[in-house]
Amino acid sequence: MTDTVVGEPSGPYSATTAIGRGLEEAPVLRQGLGVTWLLAAVGAGGRVVVPVLIQQAIDNGMDIDATGSERVRMGFIVGCALVAMGALAIAAVCQRTAVVRLGTRSEQALSDLRTRLIEHIHRISLADHNDERRGALVARVTSDIETLSNFFRWGGLAWLIDGTLMVIVASVMLAYNWFLALIAIGISIPLFFVLRLVQRHLVTAYDRARRRNGDMLASISELVTGAETIRAYGAGGMFAARAKGAVRQRADAQIRGNMIGAFLFPLGEVFSVITIAAIVTAGVLIGPAGGLTSGALVGFIFLTYRYLEPIAEFTEVLDQTQTAVSGLRRVLGVLDMPVGPPAPQQPQHLPPGRVSIDIDDVTFSYRSRADRALADDALFESAVLERVSAFIPAGQQVAVVGATGSGKTTLGRLIARFADPITGQIRVGGVPLSQIDNTELRRRLVVVAQEPFLFDDTVAENIRFARPEATRAEIERIVDLLDVRDWLDGLTDGLDTSVGERGESLSAGERQLVALLRAGVADPDVLVLDEATSSVDALTEVRISRALTHLAEGRTSIAIAHRLSTAARADRVLVLHEGRLVEDGHHDELIGAGGTYARLYDAWLSATSAS
Amino acid sequence: MTEEGETSAPRRFARAREHIAFVRALVQRQPKTFAIAVGGAFVYALCTVASAIVIRWVIDNVIVPRFRDGDVATSTLVAGCTLIIGVGVLRAASVVVRRSFAGITQWRIAESLTNDVIDRLVTQPATWHQRQSDGRLVARGGVDVDTTVGVMAPIPFATGTVLLIVVAGVWLVLTDLVLGLVAVAVFPVLMVLNVVYQKMVDRHFDAAQQALGDFSGAVHESFEGVQLVKAYGAEERETKRLTEIASRIRDARVRAVYVRGTFEALLEVIPSATNIGIVVLGAHRIDGGHLTIGELSSFIFMFTVLVFPLRLIGYALSELPHSGAGYRRVQGTIDDPLEPDPAAAVVVAPSGAAVVLEQVTYRFADATGPTIEDASATIPEGTVTAFVGATGAGKTTLVELMSGLVGPTTGRIALADGERAIVFQEAFLFGGTVRDNVQVGLPMNDDEVWEALRLAAADQFVRELPDRLDTVVGERGVTLSGGQRQRVALARALARHPRLLFLDDTTSALDPATELQVLDNLRTALGESTVVMVASRPSTIALADDVLFVQQGRITAHGAHDDLLRDVPAYREIVEAFETDRSAPFDASGAHAAGGGT
Repeated sequence: MTDTVVGEPSGPYSATTAIGRGLEEAPVLRQGLGVTWLLAAVGAGGRVVVPVLIQQAIDNGMDIDATGSERVRMGFIVGCALVAMGALAIAAVCQRTAVVRLGTRSEQALSDLRTRLIEHIHRISLADHNDERRGALVARVTSDIETLSNFFRWGGLAWLIDGTLMVIVASVMLAYNWFLALIAIGISIPLFFVLRLVQRHLVTAYDRARRRNGDMLASISELVTGAETIRAYGAGGMFAARAKGAVRQRADAQIRGNMIGAFLFPLGEVFSVITIAAIVTAGVLIGPAGGLTSGALVGFIFLTYRYLEPIAEFTEVLDQTQTAVSGLRRVLGVLDMPVGPPAPQQPQHLPPGRVSIDIDDVTFSYRSRADRALADDALFESAVLERVSAFIPAGQQVAVVGATGSGKTTLGRLIARFADPITGQIRVGGVPLSQIDNTELRRRLVVVAQEPFLFDDTVAENIRFARPEATRAEIERIVDLLDVRDWLDGLTDGLDTSVGERGESLSAGERQLVALLRAGVADPDVLVLDEATSSVDALTEVRISRALTHLAEGRTSIAIAHRLSTAARADRVLVLHEGRLVEDGHHDELIGAGGTYARLYDAWLSATSAS
Repeated sequence: MTEEGETSAPRRFARAREHIAFVRALVQRQPKTFAIAVGGAFVYALCTVASAIVIRWVIDNVIVPRFRDGDVATSTLVAGCTLIIGVGVLRAASVVVRRSFAGITQWRIAESLTNDVIDRLVTQPATWHQRQSDGRLVARGGVDVDTTVGVMAPIPFATGTVLLIVVAGVWLVLTDLVLGLVAVAVFPVLMVLNVVYQKMVDRHFDAAQQALGDFSGAVHESFEGVQLVKAYGAEERETKRLTEIASRIRDARVRAVYVRGTFEALLEVIPSATNIGIVVLGAHRIDGGHLTIGELSSFIFMFTVLVFPLRLIGYALSELPHSGAGYRRVQGTIDDPLEPDPAAAVVVAPSGAAVVLEQVTYRFADATGPTIEDASATIPEGTVTAFVGATGAGKTTLVELMSGLVGPTTGRIALADGERAIVFQEAFLFGGTVRDNVQVGLPMNDDEVWEALRLAAADQFVRELPDRLDTVVGERGVTLSGGQRQRVALARALARHPRLLFLDDTTSALDPATELQVLDNLRTALGESTVVMVASRPSTIALADDVLFVQQGRITAHGAHDDLLRDVPAYREIVEAFETDRSAPFDASGAHAAGGGT
């Protein structure tokens, strides 16, 4: 699954180092942990108050003589009860404080961790962001953090309390009678292992159920997304049977997990009664001779339950802890992913005004499969650039063309500094890209992507993304500047039209228009344009090229061109072939030369013309 | 009593009745296993009271005599221990029975509900699907069903607990009236406290869940747009925005933590404080000779073991509204009346005609104007007809109408008899092998599958896939490119040797050279068949015998491409726009040319 791709490190973190590193990333957790633990321990102490009170009442509050008549010292018992009430109250306050302290701190820590993750994920290289990985990255920030949150809600408290509680109960038992105490402790040890064994089966069973659940959802989802195809091929019955098979398997897996779970809780019960029977037998056999009292024996019965409870709870918590630690490991794995091109040590400023671009002997290759996601077609081949050099003077409009895999998209991304060349350098306005402060670079150089991304918001807000402080008037001015007023007026609410999720209420061409307006508001000195390949209707096409012409005016622009017309219109065409720059010149010159470009042009012409 | 109180009581009753009806409807799907689970819970309740009685017996007849009289008969000791273990084991066994059968009940009910949803999903027509959100429909069969049956897990136990409380109450009162009444008075307090606790904490958890949903959506969107975020150097801004949404999760959870802290402490303290009270009161009763030490201890024992079941009732009650809401959503989908199958309204076309449209008008359910207006046309058999028009003109709707996926609002559609196939603009591949995707249930041998793939120009890349025809494609398999998916979908249609083939801009995802090859294959392979296609490339349009020009939902011209070019200015305009700047991504076709040239 994709989940294993991202942030599942090949094992740098053992459970303890993961927790250590986790605490480092979320220092809030450690603050006052000792005090919280102490409060939790005192709170846990509240659970032995009643058994001790019963023991005291029976042994010291009631004189039972041989005749069977019972004389009760009410004064003593009331006194004890008052003390017990006081202890209970203190324990309750401590418990509440501990729960609140741990709860608020852990939620704060997780909130901080979410922020850290988002910050980091936005900074990791574009190569690590692709469709297959996106779900996994989102899961890191949401469901993995949720496993941690779940852990803190139940398991975290159990870790603080359960051990202490067992120690407290065991101490009281030992104080009453060490022999009986050892019996109780002795019997509890196999319980622990039996519970662990059942738990392990339970975890496997529920893992299976989760996978079956995934299969079920996938097959239901097919019925929905493939509804038209299923109908067109009359395959409803077949697909319903298929989905129902998945549903049955899911139910079977759930029931199996449930069965195993059904044995867990009663196990504690069985061990409890065995322990009580053993203690009563041993207690009766020892008798008063060993200093044992009837009150202590009765107290033991109650303490046995108090002692075994945390064991049952703890075995459950251990698995929750495992889940949380693996969630934490995945989160840390993301924090360990290298960030994109490094920030400059001593950032330099760009000269004001128009700037030139100097591509100086640039070589680039994709190091790993993940990196290759950046290439045009990541599937089978990795695109490379080999010793590409070109000087683009300020204000020139350049088109880069080439076949799939020629490296033209890669070149565009290097100019936008989404990655750094292996060797060679790209300079903007004479300053090496790697030395330019990121904020300044992004203000001066803007990339318009092939498939521009829009947020689920209004047209105006999407345009404003380029510069949040841009006023309405400024946006209106750009609309006029790019000459798309007629299009905008055709939208139901003009600038305030909602674009829908991913901009889906707009057509592909309209999304491009919004992206161009956005670039216009940014008012950059360099424009890198990755042209779209998707089909756009004729009218929108006309608007796009009109807007583009206005946008590029007076700026240095580099178009990664997929269209003949763009190349024909450019001041200069750079032709890439298999990672090398093979031709460089004006459209007319290159056609005349009869080289690679001329062949590309012929192929295109014959394919798209009707006659 | 205030008026408000008077009106709210009936409302509460109505809600309770609703809950009961809903639980009954669920139980009816799985009555036997449910009865066994409840039976197990009843045995558990009886055993719990029995174990308190056993504790009393052992203390009064074994422990106290031993320490008071110095001796006790071995047989009494053995009897006591046997009783303790016997009742305990029976109690444990009843839990196993109850939980297992509650599980079976819960998940079999889920299965039958999901199956009902599935039946609806495959029988409702495409138009019904178009009106629903995909995500929500999937949720009906998945999450909503799970929420619905969530209540089935605690219900048998809760039912058993009610019995337990009644039996325990009676037993306590019978054992000692005064002490019993005190103890019984505390039960409702604990129960109410539990319910209030669940309600309060649920409100915060629901808020947190809501915030988490918003957060997931926002994070997904932001990561999806990461290139844009980077391109404008907006990383910090986005982090800040998302952190603000995330802080709502934290705030809701922290509020829940305060509620939890207080109530957990109260729920711990009240039974313990009651026990302390019972000790004092009990000592007094012992003093008066009304009570034995064993009886007092069994009271306390009873109280200790009742705390957990009482909590569960609170949980079950608070779960009811959630489950009820889930059930209503599921039921809404299951009970939504079946819409007529539009394909049934299609009549047989007169001989010689493949498709006849008679004054067809179509209007989306919520649209203001018609999508298709008064469309009439006859497409002769054995021809290739192209629909040409701007985006949004209604070409896709026309194809859907003609293929019988969508029924006309008014007018009549007639189609030639025989096998029909349609290939959509967005190719849909099922999770399964390439072979499965071509066959879709139709029996055919590998040669036939390969032949279909060859015609769709898909054989070459399928041959290069790791397991060829057995390669798993779709969400969990090999990722195919858009063009490759299209060709597999096309092979699916061609494998059926359709007499009538509809192509909705199917070949536009292919590069022009491949497209021409595919269309050429179609011509030769289909022979007498009729092809109706939405086309947008001049080269494709030129292949058609006939062109239907669509403008704003109307068929405005019908004729040969050349005639339309000559006679219809609007048509010429759009085709010329296609020709001059219309993009076939020219690097894709160039890949062939350039590859051969160097």
